[in-house]
Amino acid sequence: MAFNGNFLCTSFKVELMKGVHNFTAASNQFKLALYDNSATFTAATTAYTSTNEISGTNYTAKGNFLTSVTPVASGTTALADFADEVFSTVTISAVRGALIFNEAATGDPTVCVLDFGADKAASSGDFTIVFPTADASNAIIRIA
Amino acid sequence: MNNMSFGVSMSNDFKVGVETTDNRGFTPEETAKRCVSKIINVSKTAPPEIRDQALAYRDEVEKVIAVYMKQAIQSDRTTVYNAIKDAGQLKLAEYIRKM
Repeated sequence: MAFNGNFLCTSFKVELMKGVHNFTAASNQFKLALYDNSATFTAATTAYTSTNEISGTNYTAKGNFLTSVTPVASGTTALADFADEVFSTVTISAVRGALIFNEAATGDPTVCVLDFGADKAASSGDFTIVFPTADASNAIIRIA
Repeated sequence: MNNMSFGVSMSNDFKVGVETTDNRGFTPEETAKRCVSKIINVSKTAPPEIRDQALAYRDEVEKVIAVYMKQAIQSDRTTVYNAIKDAGQLKLAEYIRKM
């Protein structure tokens, strides 16, 4: 099995209506974990899993905390963004995608599935996730 | 009585990028490039004369950011140099200062 595109998880949409996720909290809310291409994530993925999560030097299970940017409006679209995240001084390989999940919520519920499109690696270097432009057309989380 | 419903949509049409290095960190220039793209986004559909001006401005901002990043790195090295020197590792401190 393999990564098969980017997905905003359906459970996340439901949880938004239940008030499970808070993108304005100061810190330690959302994490990004990295996976190899054996992971089988879709829009139906509901929670973080350690299955097929990558391992390597200076990479910790469950990945890194993200810095979320306070949601804003652009026209009639609401959007949320994260600051680019750097996994520093890591040696990791065959990284095909990621899960963003809410570690502060019970059960580590997922936000979205990220497909890198190809295997990525860093050797004793930095591995940076670059989030898309935070506008109404490109932001990672948009409600139109 | 009218039935009212509101169309709300959330899209899977998003994409993150991945940038990596081997045996080094990112240079100030590489980081400045990412930084400026967060600050200034130039629409592909902007009128050519406005787009060109915006792109030129973005290039200048990128250079300024890179310069100040280099200064910040150098300044941090001074801090690291003193911390290591104070720990009694003068040779290592000198090595870091000369990097």
